[in-house]
Amino acid sequence: MERRTALRWMASAAAALPFTRLRVFAQRGELPPDAVATLREVAATVLPASLGPAGVAEAVDRFLAWTRGYREGMALEHGYGHPCLRFTPASPVPGYVAQLAALDRAARAKGGRFATLDLDTRRALLDAALTAAGVGALPRRPNGQHVVADLMGHYFNSSQAADVCYQAHIGRQTCRLIAVTTKRPAPFQADGGRR
Amino acid sequence: MTVHECDVCIVGGGITSAMLAQKLAELRPSARIIVVEAGRSIFDRENRGRYRLRTLEYGEHPWPGDYIEDQQAEGIISMTMAVGGLALHWGGACNRFSREDLRLKSLYGLADDWPLEWAELERAYGEAERRLNVCGEPSPYPGDERSTPYPQPPMPLSYNLEVLKGWAGQSGYRFNPLPMARNLKPADGRGGCCVFDTCGDVCPSGARYSPDFTFRQLMAPKRIALHDRTLVRRLVVDDGKTTVAAAEARHQDRPDEPVQYRARHFVVASGYCWSSHLLLLSSSPRFPNGLANGSGLVGRYMNGHRFISATAEVAEQTYPGQNMTHSLISREYFRCATGQPFVRHDLRVWESSAGRTPRLRDDGGRLLVGDELLEDWRSRTKGSAVRLRAYVDVHPSIDSRLTLDPAKKNRYGDPMPRIEHRLDAATEGRMAATRAHVAGVFGRMAKAGGGRIVSTGEGDYLDHPGGGCRMGTDPATSVCDSHGRTHDHENLFVVGAPTTPTGGCTNGTLTFVALTLRSAEEIARALPT
Ligand SMILES: Cc1cc2nc3c(=O)[nH]c(=O)nc-3n(C[C@H](O)[C@H](O)[C@H](O)COP(=O)(O)OP(=O)(O)OC[C@H]3O[C@@H](n4cnc5c(N)ncnc54)[C@H](O)[C@@H]3O)c2cc1C
Ligand code: SF4
Repeated sequence: MERRTALRWMASAAAALPFTRLRVFAQRGELPPDAVATLREVAATVLPASLGPAGVAEAVDRFLAWTRGYREGMALEHGYGHPCLRFTPASPVPGYVAQLAALDRAARAKGGRFATLDLDTRRALLDAALTAAGVGALPRRPNGQHVVADLMGHYFNSSQAADVCYQAHIGRQTCRLIAVTTKRPAPFQADGGRR
Repeated sequence: MTVHECDVCIVGGGITSAMLAQKLAELRPSARIIVVEAGRSIFDRENRGRYRLRTLEYGEHPWPGDYIEDQQAEGIISMTMAVGGLALHWGGACNRFSREDLRLKSLYGLADDWPLEWAELERAYGEAERRLNVCGEPSPYPGDERSTPYPQPPMPLSYNLEVLKGWAGQSGYRFNPLPMARNLKPADGRGGCCVFDTCGDVCPSGARYSPDFTFRQLMAPKRIALHDRTLVRRLVVDDGKTTVAAAEARHQDRPDEPVQYRARHFVVASGYCWSSHLLLLSSSPRFPNGLANGSGLVGRYMNGHRFISATAEVAEQTYPGQNMTHSLISREYFRCATGQPFVRHDLRVWESSAGRTPRLRDDGGRLLVGDELLEDWRSRTKGSAVRLRAYVDVHPSIDSRLTLDPAKKNRYGDPMPRIEHRLDAATEGRMAATRAHVAGVFGRMAKAGGGRIVSTGEGDYLDHPGGGCRMGTDPATSVCDSHGRTHDHENLFVVGAPTTPTGGCTNGTLTFVALTLRSAEEIARALPT
């Protein structure tokens, strides 16, 4: 069966399922609590500590919202120049759960939960996991290759992260008055970037 | 079979169709106009903000179902088939060609002249700019004079572009803000630009002109009828005559039930690919090579322009993300002195974040995490990257073709098109010199502004494609006249992109629209007042 046909079939089959089973189907987007706990531990290492605990927690929340909002089988942009039809693949969440469990196991094998290890060990664990998953660069948007790269890509490629990097209120791809864009972006003040 | 009678049947619902329908409805208010569009109407403007967010977050396509799965062409540059056509997600760049485009043969002995005077096209440009509400500033170059002002002042330059204008200007080339079909303030039922910066995907405010607005405005007071999801499969000629009698179509929901459009005039406004395709599909024992094809040139001389790009590194500080869809343009090389090696191209400058994006590993391959990643990124944001691009004038050979591919058929068994662009011998012969010239221009800009070119690239397709039904005065060497009226069938017109003999050296849509507005006058002349 072709992938798209399969997705359509799954969608119509889901429509015929009793309500409880349908919920299970819909929850493919939800990371279970233990996976979220590991993700938050990892986030404290891979996201900038300078965001503060609340800023890191917010970035993780946004990523979790992203996973919940993910829809399978949606048409992707078909492009310009050499167009082709492509569709969003299956939810990355089951893969994320397995990757976070593997990271947790690897951390325990080194002597404790991820957050309790020293930075070199944490870096080595992450490096091994990303290398094994074939991650070469930060994804522009999450692509399911590895949950850590996806979390990092989701934050670092955001408009907010660009503002933090430049220490200026650029507001890329946010609705602004044209007049605002004609001025040099206002520098961050003591507000740490929040206005 | 369902039969619809009208005065003008327009096949296709893209930007040229919208402009044609609008002008015809103004010139001949009592004319019955039907627009037949193969794809669906996506009129849910209220959802565009949400679609945009889904595109940014998930890469989802912001125009759901704007294509027809079994109506695909090989070699096409966009598969959009919906009310609004490709201009649902165009960028809105609205540059004029120059008078040299119309006289390539006379001035340089290259390609062919266009069968109309510059003054006529210039007048039509003014009208097209008015209808699309283009914001722009007159070019400082002699030869680019305008008879009418832009309807809106130029898009104010972002801080970044202002900085880059200063940088680029040191080369001696003169730059203007790119003219764009963007509302600076709310107008004509559309919002004002608030720099969402996703014009090429979807514009939630409607500031960037999109033909769906025009169609809705025309449909509400019933000035036209729009039949969407209806594919015209062939045009049929009157028995014993050369006039077209009917367009035969099928609605997507009723594929077994023929629909026929009977009209005084038929206008093929189906874009650069599907226009030739429809004429070729309309073959019959009397017209074995398809309609309007006495010259054998339908589907030939498919054109467009090549593009060469570069990234420069400069010392000036910018903040990528202010207005990345806007740019500067120089028309320095729109005209080429005769007696010199021929080269024509536009020159564009954008802000860019190339080489200034966050990265996972440092130069030594060490994994970066947390604040060290941020610091690494910050350390690479000093100065700026600048995106440069030239659309280069190249000319098609007669074998630059659209043909019917018997191996690929739609649900009705109609063969689908295949496009293979080929450049003429003169263009191929000077291509190395053209590349060297463009590299020299980029190099001059970098040198003058104290920067350096860090990468260059060349596109592998022709942009803003046109051709396939080229206009001319001689029925032996062209398909239609300068108004798009086909030489072989008095009541059959082709409009816009397909009629262009050559593809120019800048974005083509304003020209396609201007030509179509000229055609509208001719079609209206044939309708009762
Ligand atoms: C991402 C993107 C960015 C762009 N940016 C720019 C820009 O900034 N500046 C610029 O100048 N140009 C730009 N362009 C190009 C521009 O969009 C096109 O040149 C223009 O929209 C072409 O309009 P058209 O009316 O000729 O044809 P189309 O838009 O192709 O419309 C033709 C319509 O006819 C319909 N049709 C075809 N065959 C049939 C049939 N047999 N029966 C019924 N209906 C049929 C199609 O479904 C289609 O909707 C861009 C294009 C894209 C995709
Ligand atoms: S930049 Fe302006 S025109 Fe472009 S998408 Fe945003 S609001 Fe629309």
